[in-house]
Amino acid sequence: MTELLAPAGDLERLKIAYLYGADACYIGGKDFSLRANAKNFSLEEIKIATEFAHSLNKKIYVTVNIVFHDKNLLNLDEYLSSLKEIGIDAVIVSDIVAVKKSYEKGLDIILSTQSSILNYRAINFWKNLNVKRFVLGRESSREDIIRIKKECNVELECFIHGAMCTSISGKCVLSNYMTNRDSNRGGCAQICRWVFKNEDENLPDFTFMSKDLNMVEYIEDMINIGVSSFKVEGRMRSIYYIATVIMCYRKIIDKINSHTLTEQDKKYYQKILNRVANRDSMPQFYHKFPSVNESYFTDRIEISNQDFLGIVLDYDEKNKLIYLEQRNYFKKGDIVEFIGPNMEPITYTINTIIDEENNNIEVARHPQMHLYLPFDTPINKYSMMRIKLFDK
Amino acid sequence: MKNKIIITINSLDELNNYLKLGINLFAYPLKGFCVGMPNTFLIEEIPSDGYLFINRILDNESIDKLNDILNNIKIKGIIFDDLGVLELIKNKDIEKILYLSHFNSNLESIKLYLEYVDSLIVSTDITKEELININNNLKNKLTIFILGYVPSMYSRRLLIDNYSKFYNIPKNNPLKIMNNQKEFLLYENDYGTMFYHVPLFNGLELMNLEAKYYFINSAFLNSDDIQKLLANKYEGSYDRGFLDTETIYKLKEDNSD
Repeated sequence: MTELLAPAGDLERLKIAYLYGADACYIGGKDFSLRANAKNFSLEEIKIATEFAHSLNKKIYVTVNIVFHDKNLLNLDEYLSSLKEIGIDAVIVSDIVAVKKSYEKGLDIILSTQSSILNYRAINFWKNLNVKRFVLGRESSREDIIRIKKECNVELECFIHGAMCTSISGKCVLSNYMTNRDSNRGGCAQICRWVFKNEDENLPDFTFMSKDLNMVEYIEDMINIGVSSFKVEGRMRSIYYIATVIMCYRKIIDKINSHTLTEQDKKYYQKILNRVANRDSMPQFYHKFPSVNESYFTDRIEISNQDFLGIVLDYDEKNKLIYLEQRNYFKKGDIVEFIGPNMEPITYTINTIIDEENNNIEVARHPQMHLYLPFDTPINKYSMMRIKLFDK
Repeated sequence: MKNKIIITINSLDELNNYLKLGINLFAYPLKGFCVGMPNTFLIEEIPSDGYLFINRILDNESIDKLNDILNNIKIKGIIFDDLGVLELIKNKDIEKILYLSHFNSNLESIKLYLEYVDSLIVSTDITKEELININNNLKNKLTIFILGYVPSMYSRRLLIDNYSKFYNIPKNNPLKIMNNQKEFLLYENDYGTMFYHVPLFNGLELMNLEAKYYFINSAFLNSDDIQKLLANKYEGSYDRGFLDTETIYKLKEDNSD
């Protein structure tokens, strides 16, 4: 079965990802990880996360994927020993020194997309160094993936959703030059989303921002090819984004496996995924070489999404009340829906809102205020309330 | 020391000029296997005492094509980025120089790669102090980038082409772009777009370090520029890259561990 692999920037995101259908999560520690802006996990939190994952019979991978400078190596041995002791399922690495040390510690190794692999010969080099799984470059075509699988018969992890680097991953140090932050040590400032002047001032500004990746159309094909793991990008994304994306792909994969996926299903999930993203998304290198349509050429186009209205903290069976934490403005009369693990969306009209002082209120306007909503149907903890989006 | 310089070549006409300067090791960008190089060479044009320069990340079809080429030529060595190339040449009696662009930033990794190659070009993203420390442990093994435009981003996409098509304007290749007084020189071919940091990097002082080779990337320079730079008479601008400036590793300290 192909694994659905989710990003998790902290424990809350991790729990959400698993509950909404991820088979595995990848996380970063506070050191040696390429998303220095994410909250990331202390060793104690990695232990908690690992215990949580394994209690659900799911997997957890830890990124140790910076390009090391000498002084960054000082605590690496100790850190990898700790990860081994905690019992994580694998490390995601790119630097050869991290590959060697991880193997010596007995850790399973996933080679990061930072290693820019697009051919089977490169896989053979790393295979001899005991790498178990490979995250292919996002520039891999369908034919490349098929050939690599055929020649090497290794586990392949492919990105299926989320932001794209304009650069081949690992081949960009624009942040180093623009901000002095080291791209390959977690400091990427997303320079590929900045606007540059053409040296000819009469010509338009130069931008080179890629649209996001979205592989809904090709999931079945990738399963048939033998891709081992479907990876979703975005350790810094919101819980709502993670829940929505993971839930959509979970349902798509399950429906493919049960031979029940319809074109109508795909259209519906595409609409949901398009709505939750703040940028356009599409397949990129898989089926054709990307050109004008796969990039943005005007200023940064990102739409703030306020569909996520609240997260369910509990359900009071006795009084039939949903206990909810507000995340965006809503009011009486709004038609919303609840989404959650192992349930179909439930449509709900808000007729009553009760605050924590037991007052009936008209609107929920304060971020993270706690509220009660009467509802006869039990709604599980960690379910989410969102604006009613689409009918299936 | 100039006899330890390997320089990429833009034109066969330049060779005599370089030989007069005492430079006699030449790397030829191989047509179809390079990005960011404005001049490339057919395999028939490359002499047997030359180095092939291959800086593309290769797909399966390209690595197979390269294999065919390498089985039918005689050359002194190869400077390459993609580790798949290493698999093609590991049993061949040619000099192997690994140029992993932004990797090769610490002593232990470099030692590990040196188990497979004869030399490697150290990352230009480290400080002079870091470089000296690495080099002190590996005398006469490293190749040190001393001069030329430094790659700062390599995209598989045709970014200049897309830009000109979108705005329906003539395609300027190379193209110079800027933001907040930082400039980049872009060059595109069928295999992608390379961004070079502007101004060019001048680390000629690094020739004081005992290295196996010193590497000059002459893309967008000519032999006259190189001659002036080596003689310290170049009037254009240049900088020292990150030799004196350590890049930021962690954005904020977190003591919660």
